[in-house]
Amino acid sequence: MIAGLSRSRVLGFALLAIFLMIFPFLHSWPGIGQLISEFRTFNATMFAVWLLVVLSMNLLTGYSGQISLGHAAVVLVGAYTAAVLFDQFGVPLALAVPIAGLFTGVVGGVIIGVPAVRLTGPYLAIATFSLIITMPQILKLNGLDNWTNGPLGIRIREVQPPGFLEGFLDQGQWLYYVVMVTAVVMTVCAWALTQSRVGRAFVALRESEVAATAMGINVPLHKALAFGISSFYAGIAGGLFFMVRAFVAPESLGFLDSILFLVAIVIGGLATILGSIFGALFLTFQSELISNLANVIPQAEDLRGVIYGSLLIVVMIFFPRGLAGFVRGLPGWSPTLGGPHSGVVAALARLIRPGHGTDSGAGRSD
Amino acid sequence: MDQFLQQVISGIASGSLFAILALAVVLIYRSTNVLNFAQGEMAMFTTFIAWSFMTRMDFWPAFFLALLVAAALGAVLERLILRRVEEAPVLNAVIVTLGLFTVFNSLALWRWGALPKGFGPFSVFKGAPLCAGDVCIGQLKVGILVVAVIIMVLMFLLFQRTRLGLAMRATAQNRTASRLVGIPVGQMLSIGWGLSAAVGAVAGVLVAQDSGLTTGTLMPILIFAFAAAVLGGLDSPVGAVVGGLTIGVVKNLAGTYVPSYVGNVDLTVAFLVIVLVLMVRPTGLFGQRAIRRV
Repeated sequence: MIAGLSRSRVLGFALLAIFLMIFPFLHSWPGIGQLISEFRTFNATMFAVWLLVVLSMNLLTGYSGQISLGHAAVVLVGAYTAAVLFDQFGVPLALAVPIAGLFTGVVGGVIIGVPAVRLTGPYLAIATFSLIITMPQILKLNGLDNWTNGPLGIRIREVQPPGFLEGFLDQGQWLYYVVMVTAVVMTVCAWALTQSRVGRAFVALRESEVAATAMGINVPLHKALAFGISSFYAGIAGGLFFMVRAFVAPESLGFLDSILFLVAIVIGGLATILGSIFGALFLTFQSELISNLANVIPQAEDLRGVIYGSLLIVVMIFFPRGLAGFVRGLPGWSPTLGGPHSGVVAALARLIRPGHGTDSGAGRSD
Repeated sequence: MDQFLQQVISGIASGSLFAILALAVVLIYRSTNVLNFAQGEMAMFTTFIAWSFMTRMDFWPAFFLALLVAAALGAVLERLILRRVEEAPVLNAVIVTLGLFTVFNSLALWRWGALPKGFGPFSVFKGAPLCAGDVCIGQLKVGILVVAVIIMVLMFLLFQRTRLGLAMRATAQNRTASRLVGIPVGQMLSIGWGLSAAVGAVAGVLVAQDSGLTTGTLMPILIFAFAAAVLGGLDSPVGAVVGGLTIGVVKNLAGTYVPSYVGNVDLTVAFLVIVLVLMVRPTGLFGQRAIRRV
């Protein structure tokens, strides 16, 4: 994997790694403190959580071409799994979060992935959509509420750094390192996955299921795998989400968050890791951006939806390959990692409107 | 038995609300092959417009004026925004409709606020509920159901019996071929959006008379309407009505007969039924199977 990287790129990644390592201490450095407040550490922690969510969406929708409107529900289940394990069974979070990921991964692969083998386009969208609509009701069910605490949700004491680190790291910095390291490792894994045999099978699936089958790819297996891996990422993100906030409730994430996740991968750029990073930045700062805008235009806070919506429309019309596509189009960007796949959106389109791809002589029986 | 019948009838009554909105979703899918996520929000927005007309004039002129505005809005949206992603892959169009969804949702809340707007005095279907024995149904619900069936029949006639409908179906299926045989594709798409927005406005006005007009109360109905369209099959008007009524009945029965110690499960059961139906029939109850040539 390393062999494919140019020297400047390795240098770039090294600088990025150092930056990420010292980031939570920057606010205490003279001069920089005015630029970067302590609150930015929390921002960066949430960025890492959102990065996992956006990666999860991008692996599923961007790479494999399976649309999901219910991803917020998977993240929510991950958060609840970690919360219940920790709160009810005393499982330490270091164990509860990976278990949450495995749980959502298996459940997502089987419960969503297997039906998804039969459903395409709008029908898959509504099936995944039903997850996020019903999840709050399921979490409040009477049998489950001994564990989930019903509508009140689960609140725990804020996570503290382990004893031997006391004095070195405060609570925010500890959370930052735990979450950021997880996110970086999993981002590298996601990148490796996209370069692997399985990742190429995902792309083949997206481009044409028939062609993929003809090439000997086990389509149902890889569809279930795409949902499983994506749900694993979402579950880990959910567990970390709970860990950072020390709280989760049935309405913590809802339908609008699912849409926001979709907005994030589209604005960032479908089927690119770089795009996922842009998408996570968007999720992290969107609410702050709008609040700042409200200082200039007083109605901005109320017109939040208008701003998101217009943004989505403008990006879709003028930059359909997202920010990542835009950046890669800039002069001087070295195309070593391979440009964004032009066929991505076309393939997704065939899913949304089965049998009516722009580039195939598709027809329909009448 | 009476209780069961009453629950079924009430389910049909609330299902008629879903059915009529689902028709608008089907209309646009049939004529442009885009699943318009903004359909419900557009309907809500035009209903607010209808309401503001109604505070200034009588019911009928206000109603028809609102229909015109809705149709114009639909056509303009298609011409100005959707047209720009028409040549692009369809996912772009779908994401644009998601954008419109949030725009209209937020605009309505900003312009008209969260307080309910009275729609009662304009009701055309006032009067005592119709009863057979102990089983009753409100006149408004009967009226909505009748209007839904009328729209369904009109849509069927339009698509199956007119040249315009044929041209619209052709446009939805294959734009290049449609252009080759001389169909004005752009006009067809505008007409599809305009008609669908008008049907949405009719649905919105009727639904608002039942549930009141707030962004909050309409939202759940919009969601179920969407689900109804998918359950019935996105390209079938009959499916939209049957899907709407089915969801209404299932939701009501689940609300009544699932023992209360389990908790509130009407939503869950309704969507479980939808997913199960889709497992057996992946394109909905009445939807045509898409068969692709490779």
